[in-house]
Amino acid sequence: MAARILRTFLTVKPSNSIIKRFESNKKSVSVYDPFRNKPQKNKEAYLEAIKIFESQDKRRRGHVEFIYAALARMKEFGVHKDLEAYKALVDVLPKGRFIPTNIFQAEFMHYPKQQQCAVDLLEQMEDNAVMPDSEMEQMLLNIFGRRGIPVRKFWRMMYWMPKFKYLSPWLLPDKLPDDTLELAKMAIQRITSVDPDIILDIWQTEEITASIDKTWIVSAQSRAQKVLLAEQPLDEPLVVKGPYNVYMRDQVVTYFTLIGKTRPEPTDDRDIDDVSNISKPTGIPGFIGSTKLPSVKCTVHEQDDGTIVSVCATGTSSRDSLLSWIRLLEKYDNPLLSEIPVIFTLTAPPSDIAIQETQPATTEEANKEGT
Amino acid sequence: MKSFLKLKSLSCISNNCRQHSFLTKNVIQPKAKLPITQNVSSRFLFWERDRKGGYDTSQKISLSEHLKEGYKEIKGEFKLLGQEIKALIETDPLLVARPGETDLIWCFNKPSVLEKFITTSDSDHNEGYSTSKLEMSSAGRALFHGNLDVRVPKDGRIKKAGYAAMRSQRIRKSFKREATYDWHIYNTLVIKVRGDGRSYLLNISCEGYYDITWNDIYHYVLYTRGGPYWQIAKIPFSKFVLGSKGRLQDKQNRMRFDKVTHFGITCGDKIPGRFNLEIEYIGLEFDPTHDEEFAYEMYKTDRYIVGV
Repeated sequence: MAARILRTFLTVKPSNSIIKRFESNKKSVSVYDPFRNKPQKNKEAYLEAIKIFESQDKRRRGHVEFIYAALARMKEFGVHKDLEAYKALVDVLPKGRFIPTNIFQAEFMHYPKQQQCAVDLLEQMEDNAVMPDSEMEQMLLNIFGRRGIPVRKFWRMMYWMPKFKYLSPWLLPDKLPDDTLELAKMAIQRITSVDPDIILDIWQTEEITASIDKTWIVSAQSRAQKVLLAEQPLDEPLVVKGPYNVYMRDQVVTYFTLIGKTRPEPTDDRDIDDVSNISKPTGIPGFIGSTKLPSVKCTVHEQDDGTIVSVCATGTSSRDSLLSWIRLLEKYDNPLLSEIPVIFTLTAPPSDIAIQETQPATTEEANKEGT
Repeated sequence: MKSFLKLKSLSCISNNCRQHSFLTKNVIQPKAKLPITQNVSSRFLFWERDRKGGYDTSQKISLSEHLKEGYKEIKGEFKLLGQEIKALIETDPLLVARPGETDLIWCFNKPSVLEKFITTSDSDHNEGYSTSKLEMSSAGRALFHGNLDVRVPKDGRIKKAGYAAMRSQRIRKSFKREATYDWHIYNTLVIKVRGDGRSYLLNISCEGYYDITWNDIYHYVLYTRGGPYWQIAKIPFSKFVLGSKGRLQDKQNRMRFDKVTHFGITCGDKIPGRFNLEIEYIGLEFDPTHDEEFAYEMYKTDRYIVGV
């Protein structure tokens, strides 16, 4: 019996206890929605709606509900990455009122709904990678005081977010270009950044008279790749592989690769113990790295599943545009392509996958077990 | 069929959404055996019920079945024990790592290595629609791929969705005794991948004995270049940050290299769509030029501000 009583105490849930710290994050029903009837969904309209709410009622009744409703509609208005909009929302909360005045208030989450609301706001900022600034800190300090949980959340964010903001070795601009050509250029530049010698070409398919699709092609080929292509055996066909995806943040760029055969492994039958006639090293060793690891070929383009001869992205990603790409490669310094066969192994573009809208139904077996 | 579904949904409500006291739950609501009902306990204040945090999918089997299954495994377990005793007698552990050489923990060149990993995604627990798979790629490597979906199921409980993860199985000694990796002679993680431009999360779990350490995972980001070229990422262990249940902790500390229990990779960058990560190997290296112990500040802050 004692064990049971103890267990009851130990498993007590926050709802049963006095502390209701984080329970209040269940969103309340918003009664008043000033965002619904906005003709234009943009930043001005959003800020205006907040201003209307602030001026409507001196006591600003229902401001927590208002902030939750506003947070939910940020994406709709396109302000979910806008620090100013978040600041305007924080500004709705009254200053000074929620600052705890004694240690009990400070410890037991003074004004829990309001604090949780501000924490949720900060969390949404974090999810959208919006870094707050010191003005926001001042606002939060004025609203919740030093001991407020939103302020601590802010401090945590300001500690961690700058550490990770510019960590990526392939940094992207804050706003990706809207133009697909510019985006494709960035993507191809990024995926071919292994070879600093790479040259990016932007061609128009109009140059090839037989082409049907009139579009652009971003093609990348380095001088080493040109040599590798020129040395391809004539009887072995080259393969155009793709489409593959590369993500530039949330934008997807489709690219294709032209792949040839890997050169045969260099064989060395010389007796390495024979020191009577040591020749000068040829300069390019066959392998780099220790023999324990999977071996690496001497150019980065030679990989174990083939030699990457060129990479491209086209405006339409169609078969015809790729044919034009091969013809253009041939035109610009790759004469071997006129003699060598090229195979197109294009799978149909990965169309939308059928995704069930509702929860997946239980399987038959599971049903049998259950019943 | 129909009545069953109704029953299921009803019990869903009573199990998860309503708050019962512990007593009434035990007496009035004997837990119905339901196939995929999500049954994650609410936040308890003092203790964790199980290591899986309510996501335990292991099935209970009867004692006789247990004995039958166990009998089949005795031979293999004794073989393992023999190997352990042999290693103990030989007493030839690796004391020093050669600088600049990578020791591979997993080299994904055959399907048997892939079986040491388990993939999970939120659809496994009816908490989302993401899918994931770990398969051999056409180049003969491990391919962690799937579809990331950030739609939230409309069950009124889940706020966010969209993750897919692979994690190594717990390393063990013979007779199913749990063991840990001992990586104390290394200081760098080396991973050779071919990604798709997304950023992934590397997770090193250091589960301890007590329940507050069960969810301790050290994280770091793996940025992938994308494209057809392989990339080798070398990440010092000092850069890994401590998180628990996905939340970065205020009180950070360096990981215990001799208590590593799992290694995993997560895809959860909030970008819906397909993901592809081809992995050639995961290894460890000792870099003598890297003498940083922990990359993040460890200074003391005011009382009652941090870790509350």
